[in-house]
Amino acid sequence: MVTKNYPDPKLNEKLRDRYYRRDQSKPEFTKAVREISGTMAHMCYQCGTCTGGCPSAPRSTYRIREFMRRGVLGLDQEALTDPDLWLCTTCYSCTDRCPRDLAPTDVIMAMRNLAFRQDIIPVNFLKTVQAIYSSGHGVPNNDVNRAAREKLGLTRDPPTTHMYPEYIKGIQKILDHYNLKANADRIVKEREG
Amino acid sequence: MTTERKYAFFLGCIAPNRYPGSESASIRTSKKLGIDLVPLEGASCCPAPGAFGSIDLNVWYAMAARNIVLAEQMGLDIALICNGCYKSIYEVNHKLKHNKELRDAVNEVLKEIDMEFKGTIDVWHLAELLYDPEIVGVEKIRASVKVPLKGTKIAVHYGCHLMKPKKERHMGSTEAPHWIEELVEALGAEAVEYRNKMQCCGAGGGVRGYDLAHSLDITNEKLQNIVEAGADAVTEVCPFCQLQFDRGQIEIEEKFGIRYNMPVFHYNELLGLAQGMSPEELGLDLHAINTEPFLKKVL
Repeated sequence: MVTKNYPDPKLNEKLRDRYYRRDQSKPEFTKAVREISGTMAHMCYQCGTCTGGCPSAPRSTYRIREFMRRGVLGLDQEALTDPDLWLCTTCYSCTDRCPRDLAPTDVIMAMRNLAFRQDIIPVNFLKTVQAIYSSGHGVPNNDVNRAAREKLGLTRDPPTTHMYPEYIKGIQKILDHYNLKANADRIVKEREG
Repeated sequence: MTTERKYAFFLGCIAPNRYPGSESASIRTSKKLGIDLVPLEGASCCPAPGAFGSIDLNVWYAMAARNIVLAEQMGLDIALICNGCYKSIYEVNHKLKHNKELRDAVNEVLKEIDMEFKGTIDVWHLAELLYDPEIVGVEKIRASVKVPLKGTKIAVHYGCHLMKPKKERHMGSTEAPHWIEELVEALGAEAVEYRNKMQCCGAGGGVRGYDLAHSLDITNEKLQNIVEAGADAVTEVCPFCQLQFDRGQIEIEEKFGIRYNMPVFHYNELLGLAQGMSPEELGLDLHAINTEPFLKKVL
């Protein structure tokens, strides 16, 4: 068995524990994962086809099959605090190959959504939110690129929110509706000061 | 030439802001094939399905819907050139059209900015429009070639979100597709098969930002397989994959000490080259990996 080795000793211990403890099971977690993912994860028979075709599995301890099981057993803390949750590239190979016609990728996305509600999220995700809030783009334009665009006969800024910044307000309203920018700012500040 | 078809051109982020050559190549090559790509003014990031989908799917729906509504207001279908954008824009459009509860919830939010999703347009990847014989088709592409890419071997990277998950797409099996190879061979090049062709580039799902070495290790495996097949270049239909393969090779050299010098082209750049656009017009000097060795074979 692959052993995890994360900086937090308590987390290490928990993720090494291979026993199922009923008092840690939360049926509401199973239900929430099903609702958000829209897939019937409890039909998973643990064949491992998902892990077998996963590009992240051979180079890490990330096992999508294990997350499927955690979902079914309601082991929310194991699922949400395991740093491997963020190693899914969302390639959907597991989803296309699942013999039970489930969508393990969407289970991971649902768990990530649930993790975020507990402020568990890598900061790079939040920085994308911040970039979009200020410019409309996750990967914004820069001066080198503006010069290159001009040389190609394109407008210096693309005809997106970059050229029409009046549209950014609408984007900010949507993000503020979900309080996402404020949460992103708060979490990034807590992590990076 | 048949009548011109008009589409709202959704740019996304990486093409216009990092590889603008593929933006201009798309516009100019499509024009020659009867497709008019008009700017989708005020569009934003799709938003990035890995980042936004992971944080809160509801925000992802609403943000993508805003982009779709801009095209609805123009009365035009959307065409785009990025697999990540395709996941956001195509999939959210499809979901909102078929799920009333979700549509109502999104429209509740859009109301705050005086918008409403109506479900009146369709979303296409430019590659599928190029392949569709009713729109363009392989024959018409072949006929548009002025500089055949003869004597070159090209490996196709499909990327993930164009065809997967297959039950939410319409392009058939995702195990061993061959249609982009047909598009490549229409340009006079030889398309080579390689091991584990459908594997991810490694960039998606926020992994590139979360754990760069892990994500590059996936790219490295793909590059090994591509080199093994004797390819002169890689082509893809997704600027994020392009960035991962192109700039990724610089990072792979820094981190793992392996150098590939494998030129990476968006399919529309190859099409532009074959239609007679110059490397300067295609902005190939903006690529991290020198494309000269490939160009020497064809120009």
